[in-house]
Amino acid sequence: MNEATLIRKGLFRKVLRAILMMVSISIAFFIFGVLGAVNKAFNAGVDVAAANRLVIVNAINFTVSMPYAYFGRVQGVDGITHVTHANWFGGYYQQPANFVQTFAVEPETYLDVYPELILPPEQREAWINTRTCLIVGQALATQYGWSLGDRIPLNSNIWQQADGSSDWDFDICGIFTAEDSSVPTNYAMFHYEYFNESLAFARDTIGWMILTTEDVSLNDQVADEIDAMFANSPAETETTTEAAFSQAFVEQLGNINLILTSVIGAAFATILMIVGTTLVLAINERTKEIAVLKTLGFQSGRIFRMILTESFLLSLIGGAIGLGLATALVMAAAEGFQAFLPGFRMPLSVVWQAFALMIAFALVTGFFPAFNAMRIRIVEAFGKL
Amino acid sequence: MKQLFAVIGMNVRSIPQRAGMSIATITSVAFMVAVLLGFLAMANGFEKTINGSGSDDVAVFLRGGSQAEVNSVLAREDARLIEVAPGIATDESGDPIMSAELYVIVDGTKRSSQTEANLPLRGVQQQAVNLRQNFALTGGRMFEPGTAELVVGEGVIREFEGFDLGQTIRLGSNTWTIVGTFSTGGSVFDSEVWADLGVVQNLYQRGSSVQSLRARLTSPDAIEDVRAYVEGEDRLNLDVTSEREYFADSAGGIATLLKFVGWPLSIVMAIGAFAGAWNTMYSSVDSRTREIATLRTIGFSGFTAFMGTLIESLVLALLGGALAILVIYILFNGNSASTLGGGFTQIVFSFEVTLGSVISGLVLALSVGFLGGIIPGIRAARVPLLAVHQN
Amino acid sequence: MTDQQPLYQLRDLSKTYTRGKESISIFKGLDMDIQHGDFIAIMGPSGSGKTTLLNQLGGIDSPSSGQVVFEGKRIDNLSQGALAKWRSRNVGFIFQFYNLMPTLSAAQNVELPLLLTGLSGGERKKRVKTALEIVGIADRAGHKPRQLSGGQQQRVAIARAIVADPKILLADEPTGDLDRTTADEILGMLQQLNTELGKTIVMVTHDPSAAKYAKRELYLDKGEFVERGNRS
Ligand SMILES: Nc1ncnc2c1ncn2[C@@H]1O[C@H](COP(=O)(O)OP(=O)(O)OP(=O)(O)O)[C@@H](O)[C@H]1O
Ligand SMILES: [Mg+2]
Repeated sequence: MNEATLIRKGLFRKVLRAILMMVSISIAFFIFGVLGAVNKAFNAGVDVAAANRLVIVNAINFTVSMPYAYFGRVQGVDGITHVTHANWFGGYYQQPANFVQTFAVEPETYLDVYPELILPPEQREAWINTRTCLIVGQALATQYGWSLGDRIPLNSNIWQQADGSSDWDFDICGIFTAEDSSVPTNYAMFHYEYFNESLAFARDTIGWMILTTEDVSLNDQVADEIDAMFANSPAETETTTEAAFSQAFVEQLGNINLILTSVIGAAFATILMIVGTTLVLAINERTKEIAVLKTLGFQSGRIFRMILTESFLLSLIGGAIGLGLATALVMAAAEGFQAFLPGFRMPLSVVWQAFALMIAFALVTGFFPAFNAMRIRIVEAFGKL
Repeated sequence: MKQLFAVIGMNVRSIPQRAGMSIATITSVAFMVAVLLGFLAMANGFEKTINGSGSDDVAVFLRGGSQAEVNSVLAREDARLIEVAPGIATDESGDPIMSAELYVIVDGTKRSSQTEANLPLRGVQQQAVNLRQNFALTGGRMFEPGTAELVVGEGVIREFEGFDLGQTIRLGSNTWTIVGTFSTGGSVFDSEVWADLGVVQNLYQRGSSVQSLRARLTSPDAIEDVRAYVEGEDRLNLDVTSEREYFADSAGGIATLLKFVGWPLSIVMAIGAFAGAWNTMYSSVDSRTREIATLRTIGFSGFTAFMGTLIESLVLALLGGALAILVIYILFNGNSASTLGGGFTQIVFSFEVTLGSVISGLVLALSVGFLGGIIPGIRAARVPLLAVHQN
Repeated sequence: MTDQQPLYQLRDLSKTYTRGKESISIFKGLDMDIQHGDFIAIMGPSGSGKTTLLNQLGGIDSPSSGQVVFEGKRIDNLSQGALAKWRSRNVGFIFQFYNLMPTLSAAQNVELPLLLTGLSGGERKKRVKTALEIVGIADRAGHKPRQLSGGQQQRVAIARAIVADPKILLADEPTGDLDRTTADEILGMLQQLNTELGKTIVMVTHDPSAAKYAKRELYLDKGEFVERGNRS
């Protein structure tokens, strides 16, 4: 026997009670883990945004396009390293329910602006030189079972070709991955030229532009210069950082952060009440036993530490079970969510936050019982028969 | 029966002695029910807005295969061909009740987050107001055709800044004056900003194209005649749906998603609350072991001890459930929120605490109370008589 | 040389409880020496302050004034922490209601005070075994307190009190909860500990026949000691 035995015996003095407390705790950490991962996935756009990357959209709204000529004019702005442009294609595969996020882009500069996208050199070569090439993100390729060399048609529910049809034929000549799994790869891209030349209407317009600046400190200056350049024209622009743009997009769905935080808050308030009161009660029951320990010569500080260790064990075991279950669920669901919640996985930051919360939770719930135990007066405790 | 009531009374009266634990149970049940009701109120509110939007006797014409207004493009000629279709209702002067419409997505600033969000600036023709049920101006007047004047839906005013009556607002490079506010009784159109079709086409370089046509049908069944006509006309490549179907197709997903998130979440929380309730009832039985044993020695049955414990648990759960309903109703019912809808624009809706969701919440609370009380109840029924001597 | 010096010297010891405005004096100006190897029974009416006095000796309560000197050193002015350490080295307690840890087995209960020493696990085991053998309950080592009778529990409690080899055993009505026969066994055991192992014992009791086992009987009444018998 040693101190660990005493702590264990104390914690499991009533086995069922200890298990019920752990269940409550694990539930809260399960909710924290799953919702934390969801929140992180929603904000992936903000997290993976490069600090020196700016997005130029039409000031009316980002869904409104701009003249192609703007591309050339932005290229001349000082302080820019690369600039590229993209159009929303609104694609689907075979039937409208099979939504495929597709952009018509300028092939070479797009990869310059997004260096985190990885394409093997020979595929990169093919991508730049093949007019009908479609490069597909790994996640998307997995979803539809596409592989290199496939020839597939994609339909657009927005655009029509001059001949009245709305399906474009593509050759998959590249499958791109990302250096970090939080970077989404659930979309496809093809040549702007191929797109533009076949259009029935709205030719020579671009959806938005993305650029990188030489240095973050130049961001404001570059943005102001671009917006000033197109001021008072029918298509004024609005240039923001990639992070701000992504943030605003997520906010459009609603205050997801607030909703998730409220639910997590509710879950933690619940276990704080349950475990907090139960622990105080449990230690009260043991007043006399603790007084005996003190009589035998156990120091107050040691008693405090032993009781606090019990609450740490409770919190860490319950929390680890909950977080483990959350991770298992997220891993199981990740595949299925790849299409609309790319990068859904258990982020390390959520795991650390969870452990920090477990420690905080143990301190909050354990402090008062431990403090009470430490202050038990032997003489009074024995009087309390 | 009398002994049963006596024991239940003793149980319930002893609740304050375990105030901490009892409050913990009540709040844990309350939080669980509150999460459920919160999500259901969002889902029901959103659903109500969508369902209130479409009518059966309005037909919506879109370009074939475009699925949503935002993707559709129609030419001026299309309108002329549809005007003469059978089954389209006319007004007193014999003109067809129809409106060609085009919306441009513009940025509005959300009050809650101060971020920009998509708003539809819909260019409409005069008959548009007759094509929406319950359309009413709630302030100011209608826009003058040919001017840069706006009328704004009530939902937009609630959720977005800068759209108050009399103000001017810049949308892209154009300045508009807000001359009126309108309501369509909480439908999707309350989340829109309306202006004259010609002005919108002009200011946003849309030429003479429109996105959709809406027309009143002589009866809901007339849609079949219209459909047959459109299919028979080679110059038209259009999809025709009733407005009700159009909205049902385009936006049902979000309400379902909210329910699919709300239920599992609250059930997971219910497991936590269940553990809490069990724990509390276990302590209740524990702290009254001698009392229960004494009663049993006098001749009370084990069953009454069981029921006393079970009902104490149900009372706690019910208190928690009722507390949650009260708080959610006071705090959330009628609250406004908005999310991105099927048309890629914001849809403003109000939280709606329905009787159905209140009942769901109470059932969930009572289930937790029942399951949490049953095993401690059995324990109470089995307290050994010798426990009377326990200290 | 230490034999010349008494184990305890109580000097001018007073204990007063204040309850609100009124204060009750339990004893005042008490002087007493306790020699090594003594076995003292303290008797007296209920409420006379016997337990209070034992608490002063055991260092779990401090006097209102006066000194408690143990082996020449004052313990009444030690800090809580220092007292705890002192108790763990010098005092073994035996209570009327045994006060065993319900979650620990008999052997683990006995081992408890040894956790405060630097002894190795093996050494601790050996000592626990010896202590349990002395009190004659080695066959029940693995049992939980609730599986033992009152007399058996008290034996375990005595084993716990002696296992760390303290200089003084303090017992507050150790047989108060036991029948005559069992009480005699326990008392015989205490006597044996005193005569054979030389343990100094102070025992509070209500029972005159229990007091007979001691070498000295002191009677505490109205804050004064009266010597009733001295068999040493
Ligand atoms: N914490 C306290 N506050 C006030 N008075 C106290 C306190 N503890 C004990 N007393 C009083 O001190 C007196 C002595 O108590 P003590 O427990 O020492 O008596 P005792 O001789 O051991 O009695 P018994 O034989 O009943 O055990 C009693 O009158 C008691 O009421
Ligand atoms: Mg006493």
